[in-house]
Amino acid sequence: MALLDINDLSVSFRTNDGVVQAVNNVSLSVDQGETLGVVGESGSGKSQLSFAIMGLLARNGQATGSVRFDGQEILNAPPKILNRIRAEKIAMIFQDPMTSLNPYMRVSDQMAEVLTLHKGMSRSKAVTESVRMLDAVKIPDAKGRVRLYPHEFSGGMRQRVMIAMALLCRPSLLIADEPTTALDVTVQAQIMTLLAELRREFGMAMILITHDLGVVAGSCERVAVMYGGRIRETGPVGPLFEAPAHPYTQGLLGAIPRIDQEGDELSAIPGSPPNMTRPPAGCAFEPRCPYRREDCACQRPMLDAFAPARARACFAPLDDVLQRRLPQAQTTMQGGQP
Amino acid sequence: MFAYIMRRLAVAVPTLLLLIVISFVLMHLAPGGPFSQERELPARVLANLNAKYGLDEPLWRQIVNYVYSIVIHFDFGPSFVYPDRTVNELLADGFPVTLTYGSLAFLAAVLVGVGLGVVAAIRHNSWLDYLAVGISIGAQVLPNFVMAPILVLFFTLTWRILPGGGWSFSDPSFWIMPVIALATSYMASIARITRSSMLEVLGSNHIRTARAKGMPEHRVILRHALKPAMLPVISYLGPVFVSMITGSVVIDIYFSTGGIGKAFVESALNRDYAVMMGVTILIGALTILFNLVVDILYAWIDPKIRY
Repeated sequence: MALLDINDLSVSFRTNDGVVQAVNNVSLSVDQGETLGVVGESGSGKSQLSFAIMGLLARNGQATGSVRFDGQEILNAPPKILNRIRAEKIAMIFQDPMTSLNPYMRVSDQMAEVLTLHKGMSRSKAVTESVRMLDAVKIPDAKGRVRLYPHEFSGGMRQRVMIAMALLCRPSLLIADEPTTALDVTVQAQIMTLLAELRREFGMAMILITHDLGVVAGSCERVAVMYGGRIRETGPVGPLFEAPAHPYTQGLLGAIPRIDQEGDELSAIPGSPPNMTRPPAGCAFEPRCPYRREDCACQRPMLDAFAPARARACFAPLDDVLQRRLPQAQTTMQGGQP
Repeated sequence: MFAYIMRRLAVAVPTLLLLIVISFVLMHLAPGGPFSQERELPARVLANLNAKYGLDEPLWRQIVNYVYSIVIHFDFGPSFVYPDRTVNELLADGFPVTLTYGSLAFLAAVLVGVGLGVVAAIRHNSWLDYLAVGISIGAQVLPNFVMAPILVLFFTLTWRILPGGGWSFSDPSFWIMPVIALATSYMASIARITRSSMLEVLGSNHIRTARAKGMPEHRVILRHALKPAMLPVISYLGPVFVSMITGSVVIDIYFSTGGIGKAFVESALNRDYAVMMGVTILIGALTILFNLVVDILYAWIDPKIRY
């Protein structure tokens, strides 16, 4: 049995501009100890997916479908059940360590309250344990620094504090929502190395949400690519990166600047992501897709398995995409213009 | 911190001096004087009166004399209109009254206002929110000069349970209506500021972190949200506290409480220079003091603020 089993999860938000469909019919699973990468650009719904799992959606958000953790349904579960799972079984670290820690409380108080709450520890014991965890995330002079306020730490150190706080109860699943986005590149690498070490040490499963394909390649076993609130392609990291089977995945990988290749121009995917207040009837990637065909705009491709552990949602022939053969229709159309 | 407080108190001295000079000059620029009457006094009588109260001296000398007697004797001079009363006596009589009903009204406004605001924010867009917002809008459009007669109509004239006016330090039934009338509209403002500030804090990232820790919502609010949500409320409360404990002319007149709110307005109308200056200095000093208190509270709440 998978540790986390997400089935047909959809998330929508009521806003003044109408209902926004942030996540649509997502099904995913994470095994014990496994690392799953969820990749997508801003607005692809990947963060909302993680908030829905934890029951942390904004007040105007609504989730439907099913999320089972250890066999127990936790989607839209009552607060009592959720609060026993949060931090204790599933912990989360957030994108922006500058604002995700409480600026008005000492680190010691913020960390210790997790242990007094879930483990019933006394405050002094909880602080001692917090210091041990700060040591584990390699914060120098943890004993002295635990008394400080978050603004007295640098960005990278704050993210270490966040990680230490998340690991206090030894959760079996860690959801990391863009843990390195707000940090500079050298610190990013340190944080990712640290996460990988701690994951091995504690035997945790992890969902790593990111737009950074390099981070995924370095630390995940499996990856799910999201676009317009849907999963477009999933598969083991190696094969998926080597032979992307969805035009969007291909575009994402193509947009990574390569240090070993000459050229001044950075390649990008033309166009911009869809407006999710009016989700397109067909494939959301159709307007930007070099492989698009006539039926792409009106029919929605479903996620289909095409190789062991791999699936994609696309109408373009697999061989064409794998070999980067662009369809005829597009070239003749362009040629037909006077 | 201690050095900062000392520094602020030191700055308060020139601030108060400046306040004295400016109000003194403005007061004398206003047409008329304490002894102008419809039937003018004989010139010799007027000259004698002016000489007795020192009004025949040049303005700068008057200011220097005034400040001198305050600093050396803590004497704010005699009232120009009530010859047998000194300003010190008038303030000693009136200020305890306004201080009493003012601080009680402040306490009531803060407790009810913050309570309403917090409830409205945590039940955002529910009937409780609408009820709280409704109450605070209702209270806002009931200024004290409307509140006072309504209260008297019900509590005194209809139900006959509270005295309609007067003041007694030993009988709290005299306090109730002044407190409610003064507190109502302040309570409404406090509720609205609390609600919007609480809503903002509840939407912030660190509150999401607190929820992700598996804390029950009431602990999230009490431990993580309340303190930061109070920052804008506190900066509003500093000046509000001063204006509440120095009373309100409407309350003093309507309920005949005999506080300094009435004395202040009357002194301005009568050109009772000494009383007017005395109340101005009192309000000015309190304002400086409570602005300092607000700044200290800010530093206590927000560790990023260090002086």
